[in-house]
Amino acid sequence: MALTTHTTPSGFLLPSIHSAPPFFTEQPNPTTQSIATEQWIRLILTYARHRKLFILRVEDAEAAESDWAEILRNERINRKMTPGHLCNIMVAMADKNLAIYEPPKQKRSILVYWRLPEEWAEVLYEWVVDSGQLNTIMTFYEITDPLVESALTNIPVPLLRKAIGILGKTGRAQMIAIADGEGVRFLAKSK
Amino acid sequence: MALRRYTRSVDGTIPVQALLYNDEELLASQDGVGIYDGSQKSSEHQNGTVHVTTHRLFYVDAQRSEENSFEMALSFINMTEYYAGLLRSSAKVTCHLAGTPVTLGPTEQDGAHAQFDSWECEVCAYRNPPGLSPAAARICALCGVPRTAVQTPVTSVPSSHLSSSLPSSALASSTSLLARSHSSSGHQMPAIACPACTFLNYPSLRTCEICSTELPSPKGEFRSAPSSRPISPDADDDDVQNKMIKVSFRKGGDKPFYAVLKRSLRNKAWEGGGVGTTPAFDTNRMSSDKRNAVGMSGISGILRTVETSTKGRENHMKDALQDLEALMVKAKDMVKLAAELNEKLTVATAAAASSSSSTSVGSSTLSLATQPEEATFIRSSLSQLGVQISNTSVTLDMMKDERKWFDELARELARILQGPPNLSGHGDTVTGGMMKDRGIIALDEVWGGWNRARGVALIPPSTFLQVIPHLSSHTNPTIRHRAFTSGLNVLHTQPNTQAAFGARLSGFLMMSGPKTTMDISAEEELTVSLVAEMIDAVEQDGGVCRDDSGAAITGGGSGTGVELRWWANLFVGYIWDGQE
Repeated sequence: MALTTHTTPSGFLLPSIHSAPPFFTEQPNPTTQSIATEQWIRLILTYARHRKLFILRVEDAEAAESDWAEILRNERINRKMTPGHLCNIMVAMADKNLAIYEPPKQKRSILVYWRLPEEWAEVLYEWVVDSGQLNTIMTFYEITDPLVESALTNIPVPLLRKAIGILGKTGRAQMIAIADGEGVRFLAKSK
Repeated sequence: MALRRYTRSVDGTIPVQALLYNDEELLASQDGVGIYDGSQKSSEHQNGTVHVTTHRLFYVDAQRSEENSFEMALSFINMTEYYAGLLRSSAKVTCHLAGTPVTLGPTEQDGAHAQFDSWECEVCAYRNPPGLSPAAARICALCGVPRTAVQTPVTSVPSSHLSSSLPSSALASSTSLLARSHSSSGHQMPAIACPACTFLNYPSLRTCEICSTELPSPKGEFRSAPSSRPISPDADDDDVQNKMIKVSFRKGGDKPFYAVLKRSLRNKAWEGGGVGTTPAFDTNRMSSDKRNAVGMSGISGILRTVETSTKGRENHMKDALQDLEALMVKAKDMVKLAAELNEKLTVATAAAASSSSSTSVGSSTLSLATQPEEATFIRSSLSQLGVQISNTSVTLDMMKDERKWFDELARELARILQGPPNLSGHGDTVTGGMMKDRGIIALDEVWGGWNRARGVALIPPSTFLQVIPHLSSHTNPTIRHRAFTSGLNVLHTQPNTQAAFGARLSGFLMMSGPKTTMDISAEEELTVSLVAEMIDAVEQDGGVCRDDSGAAITGGGSGTGVELRWWANLFVGYIWDGQE
């Protein structure tokens, strides 16, 4: 049975392994399973980037209407990801620092790092520079939901905070407490 | 006629309950019945009530109950018949009678009433109450010992006589007997001289009246008495008509009555479990051994019974052991025969191989026409019988050191597994033995088969496990041992090593797509559990991967039949071909 790639309605190109039923079963052999997990992580990250999805929950394995259904389910071969399997993959992602638990101290949902916080920091700074907002004080809301859609639209606040933290270390951003919450001021590069 | 001979008249005015013995029980009654004597209607007994008890059958006449009522002991009935009735003829129960009938002489009547006396047991001094049935009255109710042997000589007289044990009645019955036998045969019984004091004793005494010495038995006289007595016309010269009575049920109730009668006959309550129930039994005992009859009572009787049963058991045991011995001898013959057959087969095949053109070999009883396939078939049958070893089994005492012993055992085991050593040179084929058609075999089966083949000096499992490592050097093709993670141990040939099986399985899956364990076991012609073990091992090596239908969107889960399909490991060497 030759396995082929498949393009989803959202325009995502699924890998050929996604149409192999064993891909959806957790393999008892640790070596085999580690390969499978690797492929899954790659698939999740790629798809998250494609759809700009940030949060992955264990419940997404069960729900047919979830944002992740295109990769977690394969109607063509009648297979879906089992919650237990997904849970193990999420643990593996967190271990590899490709995701963090969000909210922390639980393991049912993760924040997927389809860009690493460092990458996000660069993206954020570029956007601020490009949009000429250096030295102005901005609220988080202005970043996550700008008038003109950007790469940062809908970025979860914890991730944003992390990216700002990284910029702050290099002196390019400064957290400011304002009346109704928090704000940030971006500074020009010191060097 | 049957009615007169087998029945005894009773006073029907007395209620039936009052006529019963103490150990007798009234089971059923039916009125509106008539009696047939033989096949004729008995005119005096045409309307009455019939009662069945555990011991007897009563007929109480409705009109003239005092004269025409009678009772009959159930012990006379040897067969019953049931007739359901047709049109105007009513339902009938026919009783076929047998045994010595009762004659209704005056002495008998007296004797019959004697059973209503109470008597004292000689052994335990228990005063037995009157009113028991004849059988029960003959045995002490407390200790189960029969009444004194003094009365036993008169057992040939109908049993009612036995009941008299009080001195006066005993004397009376003895005199009546004496008088009758005197009148019938005209033969005076001689007085018995005591061997000790020479006193001439009265013939019916068993011990001397003066010195209580045991007297020799009065030879012949008493035993001849019954045969010469004029009572009881011989049963044999009666026709069937005279030996049956019919009960005609004019007012129905026949079916339940018949059922009760049958049950009562089956229970045989009148036999009572006592000794000396049947007159014939006692007469035999008396004539064979006088002491025996005396010994039947008291402790010695009990001891004798114990002795007899012990002797019987001993005999049974001896018989059984003899059977076993005979079987062993036969088994030895069987093994020898099989061994001979095997040798002849070897000769025949060898001869066939050497001279393929020759048509006959003289001495061999098996014609040379025996084809090799047939020979192998016979051989395999022999091996299934477990008698394949041509020479004797190897035992420890035949070998000098242990190492050599294991080697010898391994060689023997190799023969069991692969048949006799292949002389022709090409070593790939296994000529016979347990692994002839199989590449893999469980260790327990090998052990069982080997011990079956040895028959004697069985190999303990520990020794067996020590022999296994030596096996590879004695087998061709090499047989190896393999232990699965589950603890299953097998012996296998080259094509069933893990690597070879894994490669074969991967190829198979690659060629024909995913398969279930069942499919693979069918393909490999191995048991499912064994194949499951082997696949698990391959999976451990990463040769295959699984697809669990538990991950199905619709259906799936346990209970839906196919649950696991095996795939070639498609993860290994997979290169990402999805979206970057």
